[in-house]
Amino acid sequence: MLIPRRVKHRKQHHPKRGGRAKGGTELAFGEYGIQALGQAYVTNRQIESARIAITRHIRRGGKVWINIYPDRPLTKKPAETRMGSGKGSPEWWVANVKPGRVMFELSYPNEKVAREALTRAVHKLPMKCRIVRREAGEA
Amino acid sequence: MSEVRIVAEPRSEFGKGAARRARRAGKVPAVLYGHGSAPLHLALPGHELMLALKTPNVLFSLDIDGKAQLALPKDVQRHPIKRHLEHVDLLIVQKGETVTVEVPVSTVGEIAPGGLLETVVPALPVEAEATALPETIEIDVTGLEPGASVHAKDIKLPKGTALAGDPEAVILHILTPSAPEPTAEETTADEA
Repeated sequence: MLIPRRVKHRKQHHPKRGGRAKGGTELAFGEYGIQALGQAYVTNRQIESARIAITRHIRRGGKVWINIYPDRPLTKKPAETRMGSGKGSPEWWVANVKPGRVMFELSYPNEKVAREALTRAVHKLPMKCRIVRREAGEA
Repeated sequence: MSEVRIVAEPRSEFGKGAARRARRAGKVPAVLYGHGSAPLHLALPGHELMLALKTPNVLFSLDIDGKAQLALPKDVQRHPIKRHLEHVDLLIVQKGETVTVEVPVSTVGEIAPGGLLETVVPALPVEAEATALPETIEIDVTGLEPGASVHAKDIKLPKGTALAGDPEAVILHILTPSAPEPTAEETTADEA
């Protein structure tokens, strides 16, 4: 599972949720990709789950790229705790994904299998997504 | 490659408000620069521009107040989700001038079974005459075995075109499928 090795601050404010992706909106490595159509905090567990869904479906003969990294900690106070007494302890690691961001990329020779693999991965992700393909002649 | 003639209107008002008004009117804000001249702000017809930009490195013949000007697209900004054009940078070129552009590579033929074709560099930087730019560069991958790679120097370029980048650069290679499921560390490309 993806977790930062060390961070400057253990507890951070929540990342901003508005706006759209400023970069990483095009396919950079693979032939197919999953593009976010909404904003969400994608946890490292969701990223891992989506990755496993892809690699289990394509089995071998493909290559997967993950373009997002869960570098923001979210905290949670324990259950049945009174308010106050400081901020809770880090509970999740999330990537702040904005609309337009290409999160996963895949190279695979068979388009049907590649799309099915990515569809399975989309089901693991917390926002609406679409599958994008590199167009002929697109750099 | 033939020129695409587009009638361009000079823009006199700037900023996001003016740009949004232009987009609502079906136009795309653009800027034209190069050859040491002052940048010229233009509004281009959106639909015609969109159709023209389907051809990589299309040569425009802009009609600006009755004057013709050749230009190449330097940078194209699109909406990340809706994919419509938001802004275009155009570079002034002249007939006979040599320019450096990135031409998309395409493959022909079938690789040997069991391999996976990975395009490392999807667009090859080349030098060519501005009015005779190739649309794509075809690479024949017939029978390439897993582990084989094609370097920039190995590619047969169209006549009048010269390589502008590193000749040793790997353009595409044939991967050997790995048997076990890749780990998270192997498949991760960190955020830029």
